[in-house]
Amino acid sequence: MSASPSTVQVIEARGLTRSFGDDRAVDRADLAVAAGQIHALVGLNGAGKTTLMKLLLDMLRPSSGSGWLLGDPVDGAGAAVWSRVGHLIETPFGYPELTVTENVVLAARLQGLDRPSARRESLLIVGELALDRWADRRSRVLSLGNRQRLGLACALVHEPQVLILDEPTNGLDPKGVLELRRLLLSRAHGAGVGILVSSHHLDEVARIADRITVMHRGRVVGVLDPDGVDLERRFFDMVYAAEQEGSWTQPSQPRP
Amino acid sequence: MDAAVATEALKLRRSPVARTAWLAVVLGAPALSAGFIAVARAGGDGQLAVKVAAMLPDMGWIGYLGMIGQISTVAMLLAGGIVTAWCFGREFADGTVVGLFAIAVSRRRLAAAKFAVMLGWSLSACGATVLLGVAVGLLLGLGPLGSDALGGVAMDLVAAMLMALLALPLAWVASARRGYLPAVGALLLVVIVTQLVTVVGAGAWFPYAAPGLWVGMGGAESAAAVGPVQLLLAIPVCAAGIWATTAWWARAQLT
Repeated sequence: MSASPSTVQVIEARGLTRSFGDDRAVDRADLAVAAGQIHALVGLNGAGKTTLMKLLLDMLRPSSGSGWLLGDPVDGAGAAVWSRVGHLIETPFGYPELTVTENVVLAARLQGLDRPSARRESLLIVGELALDRWADRRSRVLSLGNRQRLGLACALVHEPQVLILDEPTNGLDPKGVLELRRLLLSRAHGAGVGILVSSHHLDEVARIADRITVMHRGRVVGVLDPDGVDLERRFFDMVYAAEQEGSWTQPSQPRP
Repeated sequence: MDAAVATEALKLRRSPVARTAWLAVVLGAPALSAGFIAVARAGGDGQLAVKVAAMLPDMGWIGYLGMIGQISTVAMLLAGGIVTAWCFGREFADGTVVGLFAIAVSRRRLAAAKFAVMLGWSLSACGATVLLGVAVGLLLGLGPLGSDALGGVAMDLVAAMLMALLALPLAWVASARRGYLPAVGALLLVVIVTQLVTVVGAGAWFPYAAPGLWVGMGGAESAAAVGPVQLLLAIPVCAAGIWATTAWWARAQLT
């Protein structure tokens, strides 16, 4: 499953910090995702995974530190950067009054595709994510899982070079989880897309990730080997050790 | 068509709120005005007949168009305010605002596109109201449209559009407060303050009262006190609201 990703970093967090009042939601987080790599971000609820992703997507401004996408700083990034980035954070993209196809076309056009390209790419991704049956239905009638598929379709339609996905398997049935796994693996290892994905499902993460970063209380506390045994046990050991230490040390050098 | 404008136009076309509000304005003003004319024509000593007779300077085009103008100025503020509140506030209420970050179209441009489609919606509502009003007036047998009546038509259109422009700053409330309900609350506050200002006699210089007074809401004397300067105060109010809203969207964060 592990491929040989390039060494070109397409997603970087350099000392990113964000506080909300006294709560330091993300604390000096360093992270790097290479082109063609699937980098998983795991941690307990409230560990700061979503906040870190929002900082990387300029949805929040950091208190300090910087985020970088495709070699450009996130702060002040324009269409040239964002048109190559796809994301699914919190609520999957989809206007309830628009059909599935209209939503995907809209997402494509907002990412810079012209109308004919948006239409063509939308038909392809709707098929790839098994949404054909609902293509002309208003998205308000979709189940939770299919709304998640719609959100994924909107994140992928413009063939981005970077994907940042927060809990992408939320609401997906087992078939959907398999389809998403296949899709992410093909995008990363086949098309060289750099993917940062957060998940609570360690077994799923083990199947697709090239690298796993663990966050706890806003900090990066370690890296796990996805090929090692008993990933769940190692995750909890790392989190428990971080909790016990009290003062948060940076992890040792990540493995190449 | 620009992607941002096309996106916002599609969303507005599909919106039950926008459709209902449009119909309420376009059908409501001519229907109510025709009703008042019918009551006045029937005459009699009933309470309604007496009140209507006091409101209408005459039962011809001037009286009828004046009534349309008064009703549509109120209607355009309410309808335009509610649709504006929805257009901007629903992104937060529905959670769709997340999808408007980290995309190739800037949020400033998206906000500008929302204002562009709102202006189009407002123009179509004002124009359709006046056209339908004229059609209903002809059906009522008010006679051919003379120059005075055409002047009344133009006044109604201008007054209604000014109120539509004055509704747009509510977008800033919907954005900064992250929902459409706070903006609806602000709209109610504006209506209340407008009434108070008018009662104390300062309505001519209050942008939200001037168009309604101009088309006769406070009688002939109040109408005469409203000139172009007072009416054009709507422009800077609208411009300030658009500037503040687009600036807010450009710097917005998902806190």
